[in-house]
Amino acid sequence: MKILVCIKQVPDMESRFRPNGDKTWYDESDLAFRMNEYDEYAVEQAVQLKEQLGGEPEITVLSIGPERTVEAIKKALAMGGDRAVHIRDDRYYQKDPWQIASMIASYAKGEGFDLIFTGMQSQDRGSAQVGVIVAELLGIACATTLVGFSYDGGTITAKRELEGGIKGVAKLKLPALVTCQLGLNTPRYPTLPNIMKAKKKEIASLTPAELSGEAELTATAAIYPPAKKGGGLVLEGEIGIQVDRLMGILKEKTAVLR
Amino acid sequence: MFLELTEEQKLIQETARNFARSVLEPLAPKLDREGDHPAFLANLKKLAELGFMGLNVQGEYGGSEAGVVAFSVAMTEIARACASTAVTVSVNNMVCEVIQAIGSQEQKEKYIPRICSGAYAAGSFALTETGAGSDPAGMTTTAVLDGDSWVLNGSKIFITSAPYAGVFVVWAVTDKEAPKGKGISCFLVEQGTPGLVIGKQEEKTGQHASATNELVFDNCRIPKDALMGKLNDGFRIAVAELGGGRIGIGSLALGIGLAAMDYATRYSTERVQFGQKISSFQATQWKIADSYTELEAARLLLMNAAFRKESGRPFAKEASMAKLFATEAANRACYNAVQMLGGYGYTADFPVERYARDVRITSIYEGTSEIQRVIIAREILKNIG
Repeated sequence: MKILVCIKQVPDMESRFRPNGDKTWYDESDLAFRMNEYDEYAVEQAVQLKEQLGGEPEITVLSIGPERTVEAIKKALAMGGDRAVHIRDDRYYQKDPWQIASMIASYAKGEGFDLIFTGMQSQDRGSAQVGVIVAELLGIACATTLVGFSYDGGTITAKRELEGGIKGVAKLKLPALVTCQLGLNTPRYPTLPNIMKAKKKEIASLTPAELSGEAELTATAAIYPPAKKGGGLVLEGEIGIQVDRLMGILKEKTAVLR
Repeated sequence: MFLELTEEQKLIQETARNFARSVLEPLAPKLDREGDHPAFLANLKKLAELGFMGLNVQGEYGGSEAGVVAFSVAMTEIARACASTAVTVSVNNMVCEVIQAIGSQEQKEKYIPRICSGAYAAGSFALTETGAGSDPAGMTTTAVLDGDSWVLNGSKIFITSAPYAGVFVVWAVTDKEAPKGKGISCFLVEQGTPGLVIGKQEEKTGQHASATNELVFDNCRIPKDALMGKLNDGFRIAVAELGGGRIGIGSLALGIGLAAMDYATRYSTERVQFGQKISSFQATQWKIADSYTELEAARLLLMNAAFRKESGRPFAKEASMAKLFATEAANRACYNAVQMLGGYGYTADFPVERYARDVRITSIYEGTSEIQRVIIAREILKNIG
């Protein structure tokens, strides 16, 4: 079995984000980066499946991004990936989900992967489109937002998280692509010896030009922080007056007293 | 000049940080106040399984081969969450390294994997005696060869991890007639050896979960091949290995100092007095500026010492400078953190009082600040005239 796991490196979510110079992305210059959280679930699930199948499947890790992306790739390799493909692209953030998915599909087409894992979405752009577009371009089955995964004899049983707390179960025949949601598993910590051994694993390097020349379908017009909210309303004066005013506001502007 | 961690070092730092935050930090207040020995040992086992007990140890003995810089950043992250766990990890690494440096092939294969894998919760470093603290060459514990065994008599004090260590690296006088420091040898003594008595556990100011005990050797008989390294060459080894331990303790202190300042700085942006956040007062800002500046300087000194050791260059002076500065800067940072929290900083409802207690020992153990200055001056002066 050949497994592909697509990962993205995103800023640590505790960072303070500022729009960049042309206001189409965030300023990356002073940020710490890590693997996208949802992609950690994807890597973990792939490694668990490999373990379930006695180590037979080969796991390829793919990531698109600049030089620094290698750190996230190495983490995926330390967690149990076998080899990696790094699509070196300093302008990755200017590409829309269609272009990103086209590059991945273009690479995956010739490789004959049986199963592709991706995160449900990235923590920075959050489009949640790349996985499903890749599946569509490859013409393979797809299930999104997995919170449960099992595999038996060529069939995946995927427990999906739907709106309003409802869960659904889908069965997919390979080849297939699944996108992974919080709650699917607990990603392992890469052990230190495995971090060091990952140095010796193959990381093939490709350029976007070798893969796809698709034009963008959506362009980012602007990125901006949310407008600062007002300081709220402070009621003053006698308690009785404050209560009357509060009652009035609640009646007028909310449904709580109706 | 390139002041960036490698990808591997960053991943090790991230692993240490994530583990420390999610596993060690929630338990640390309980370990400090009431203790939870099984949970403490269980976390040490998990850290061993992740590879934190032999960061600078070869893979063939179960080590991680990650190097000294990785050791330093890992120690800092672990200590941000739990100083008791951090000191145990630091000493375990030092014990592995001393066995790797001078042990026989058999000793290395027998003991290092047990510490690295967590089969032994800990290893202990038994040098200090009641009458031999800053002056370890003044030790009086003796080892006398009797047929096929060495017989140890005497006592050690302040031995980290003694009740749960699987093996002790013990220094003893093997030639009483030799000049001071020239007649000391190093031995490996297994837990449970008859005549090895784990004595009183100290009631310390901080780092409560890490046990610190007296050891008594009462005609303790160990095999002849328990001698480690060359006969009468032990003191030189102890001095050399303590250099590496100092990088560990300096890194640990840095972690406590950062934890204290991070907490106090966040607090200062929420605490209101005189109608404004106390972070708006210059008195608070100077504490923040001074402490973070000193902690950053400490970090760079530690990185330099670690990098020199990793590169196989002399590092005794740099390790002492880093240990001296980092532990004193961390003490000042914890003092400032308590001050910033005011009365709350002196209560157990906030973590900074624990940081302030945990940090105090760092400028004492693994060589006091005074001894670090002696070493630094000696290293500088020996190159002049």
